[in-house]
Amino acid sequence: MTLLRRWSIWALLAVTLLGTLGPGVFTGDPEAQVAAPFSRPAWTPGGGSPPLTAFLTTEKPAALVSWRWEPPPNVTISGFLRYAGQLERAEILWSTPGGKTFVLASSKDTDTLRVDIDGRDMSFKRSLGLSPFDDAAKALFPEKGTYTIAARPTDGIKEARVTLDIPGKKWGLLGTDQRGRDVFHLFLLGIRVSLLVGITATLLAAVIGLGVGLSAGYAGGLFDALVMRVVDILLSIPTLPILMVLAGLWGKGLWQLVFILGIFSWMGTARTVRALTLSLRETCYVENLRSLGAPTFYILRRHLLPEAFPLLMANVALGVPAAILAEAGLSFLGLSDPRIISWGRMLQEAHGFGAFSTGAWWLILPPGIGIALICLIFLDIGRTLEEMSDPRLKKEMAR
Amino acid sequence: MRSYWLKRVLGALIVLLVVLFLNFFLFRLMPGDVVSTIIDPRFSPEAKAELRKQFGLDSPLYEQFFRYAKAMVTFDFGLSFLSQRPVWEELRSRLPNTVFLLGSAFLLSAILGTWLGIHAARRRGSFLEKIVLLAGSVSFSFPSFFVQLVLLLAFGWALPLFPLRGSVSIPPPEGFAAAFFDYLWHMTLPVFSLVLLGFGSWAIYVRNLMVRTLGSDYILLARAKGLPERRVLWGHAFRTTLPPIVTIFLLALPGVISGAVITERVFSLHGVGTFLLEAILGHDYPAAGAAFFLLALVSIFCNLAADVIYGLVDPRIRVGRSMEE
Amino acid sequence: MIRVQSLSVDYRTHEGYVAALKGLSLDIPKKEVTAIVGESGSGKSTLLYSVLRLLPPGTKVKGSIIAEASDVLAMDYEKLNRFRWNRCALILQGAMSSFTPVLSIGSQIAETIIHHRGLSSREALLKTSELLERVGLPAAFVSRYPHELSGGQKQRAAIAMAISCDPDFLLADEPTTALDVITQAEITVLLAELVAEKGMGLCMVTHDLPLALSLCHNLAVMKEGEIVEAGRPEIILEKPRHPHTVELVESIRKLEEGSIAK
Repeated sequence: MTLLRRWSIWALLAVTLLGTLGPGVFTGDPEAQVAAPFSRPAWTPGGGSPPLTAFLTTEKPAALVSWRWEPPPNVTISGFLRYAGQLERAEILWSTPGGKTFVLASSKDTDTLRVDIDGRDMSFKRSLGLSPFDDAAKALFPEKGTYTIAARPTDGIKEARVTLDIPGKKWGLLGTDQRGRDVFHLFLLGIRVSLLVGITATLLAAVIGLGVGLSAGYAGGLFDALVMRVVDILLSIPTLPILMVLAGLWGKGLWQLVFILGIFSWMGTARTVRALTLSLRETCYVENLRSLGAPTFYILRRHLLPEAFPLLMANVALGVPAAILAEAGLSFLGLSDPRIISWGRMLQEAHGFGAFSTGAWWLILPPGIGIALICLIFLDIGRTLEEMSDPRLKKEMAR
Repeated sequence: MRSYWLKRVLGALIVLLVVLFLNFFLFRLMPGDVVSTIIDPRFSPEAKAELRKQFGLDSPLYEQFFRYAKAMVTFDFGLSFLSQRPVWEELRSRLPNTVFLLGSAFLLSAILGTWLGIHAARRRGSFLEKIVLLAGSVSFSFPSFFVQLVLLLAFGWALPLFPLRGSVSIPPPEGFAAAFFDYLWHMTLPVFSLVLLGFGSWAIYVRNLMVRTLGSDYILLARAKGLPERRVLWGHAFRTTLPPIVTIFLLALPGVISGAVITERVFSLHGVGTFLLEAILGHDYPAAGAAFFLLALVSIFCNLAADVIYGLVDPRIRVGRSMEE
Repeated sequence: MIRVQSLSVDYRTHEGYVAALKGLSLDIPKKEVTAIVGESGSGKSTLLYSVLRLLPPGTKVKGSIIAEASDVLAMDYEKLNRFRWNRCALILQGAMSSFTPVLSIGSQIAETIIHHRGLSSREALLKTSELLERVGLPAAFVSRYPHELSGGQKQRAAIAMAISCDPDFLLADEPTTALDVITQAEITVLLAELVAEKGMGLCMVTHDLPLALSLCHNLAVMKEGEIVEAGRPEIILEKPRHPHTVELVESIRKLEEGSIAK
């Protein structure tokens, strides 16, 4: 099989596996926030900080945080300190490399200090002496160096369990989007939508095109002329605006989209099938069958369909990129189901939510390259099938 | 010859009628109440009933159709739900941007593509030909908005040579020349992106045509005649491929309108494309219907113009001969 | 005289180079008709095209083609373009389209006169009508387009174009194939007349031996890129030496006998 020797069929297999099995690797909800919004991919050099955690424990009521980056996006501190007896005052202190000291939390006349601090809390900002619009994380990390978080007093601690959590500005293979979601997870989920929409819409178009082409080619005459005129008109009207109007009117669901794409991309197939049918109709064996009184349906099913089939498969493969591009385009314009994660949708959100002001290329390149790759795969498969179905073309191409 | 033109014009009129018909029913046969697609859903039931009467929705369907067709043909598109302004006025304010964007991009990519295609055909197997073939396959498989987003990222953010959005600076610069250059500066990236996306398919198309023509007998003979290569190339080969190039030029024109929607969205331009998108997203049916009708009108006109011009530039055109033959 | 000396031509194909001519030598004398006969694929057309250096780029050409003491294969572009048509014109097969379909017949003939003779376009068009009349076409055909002419008319127009600059040599590649029998005869007569009238050397390639014999002073028989036999036609016809020539001559005899038997 020529097809098995092409790179594209193996690439398609790999992409399909990635799309079906890939998302299973992730345990969490794809919609959940995993890191700070617009976190860079973990493997990129410089720039953002990785996620960082420090603990205060009973044995070690102080921790060192060595910081070599820009201020983190946020800081959270949670947990408790329990002393053997009641204390007049207990505190958790933060000291910067420059020697400044902040009181992160304090309590009076208890044996337990509970903390549940988020850098965005207004009361926390006030306790640090910041105005409501100041960034607490920026205030706590004014420079690079070694910071200390410590309990005071350190004596008499019965139990200490405090966690300092600094969300990273770097995450995973492809970073995070504007809502802190894992882009790699979303990317893998997008494969399914592209393949599903691309293939089902094209199959639908192929079925319509086959029916129209066969009947027009076989019937001929006025019917044929009429059908071909309709095909010409449909081909000459730009598709995207029609698709937009239909998607806007009929709703944005995935299956509506497949349906709309299907009924607006059968024209090419119909033309090819008609041409083939016309040429086959003139051949001797079909003529003979007709003169023998074979029913039309029988001739179509037993003789024309098998001849048209290889070409039809090539047509389907070549049609998939157009459907995928159309789906991505509509999603990019916001005309798709917002609950379904697709590559076009990812690009739309990246564009709409400021990927450009932050330069978040990891939100734009993966879905775009993914679409292009799948399109190239199907183009290659389509051309291979086309060559296989038509030896004349093969010779032509070799020249 | 006259019957050829007559047939073409008649055909165009029939298509126009079909489009009007489709447009009329498309916006009426939608799921839900007929009124909701024509009358602003925010009105009270009494107001709706009143409007139904006013709009003649209680009259027979064929009467409605004729009224609708007449309104459309005279560019009377009604009031936009969203802006409460006449749709035509709104469209007109957006036309210059779109026309400039598409016009310049289309012309540039056609000229560049034709030039490259001719030279690629002349030097088969050269580096230039490989570039042309690559550019062609890129334009077939890369989503246009992706290429534009990458360009925006590269030249708007990473190397901030061009603005990220819009067609004028805020505040706009003083003076005509300054405003003009500011406009050009804003439009450079959108136009460039469309040229980048468009020239490849042109180049491939022209190359294929020219390869076939350059291999023909009359080109061999033109060379044998001792004519300078420039005359053989342009006076004979290119002149022969001109009719199909002009035809495809006009037939491709409506197709670039699709590009307008996406390009205007990516670069946040105030144009007809964004108008259509906003109208659809905002369920502004009069506006969407008008924009859609205009698109169809442009398509029909381009088809007709292609037929007419083909007849003018190709002496072989015969009565009743169709384009594909 | 055009002197072709040990000419080798190799075409470039996907499977590598394929030899079309293998060290061929031939003299094309002035004021005489030279006919080259051979089967299709024997390299006859290649020989004609290489005289005008019309072979596709990438073709390997060795040897020399001497015309007026200079080698056509070594000419620079300008000199070559002056040699083409001015000294040596070409007539293609009747089935091939010699005229660019979108330009009028007259403008295509006139452009050669304007280019080579430097005439104004009015004078050139005037001369074109004369030429058309000389080959038996109405002068009004100046403004006709190729698709409006029949096969025979097109071939006449092509001949008019070929003699437009009074060349010393005329190369004709199967000038009568794909024409009906009567037109074939008319074209043959026209060519013979023009050669006598203008004193041109005609080198005609054909697979039609009777046609060649009816016109030529010299005959060359080609097979697989080589000339296997050359000389005066009556001598060759009398005593064919090469087996291939024997076959050719035999086939004519049979044809003649057949037509007599009828």
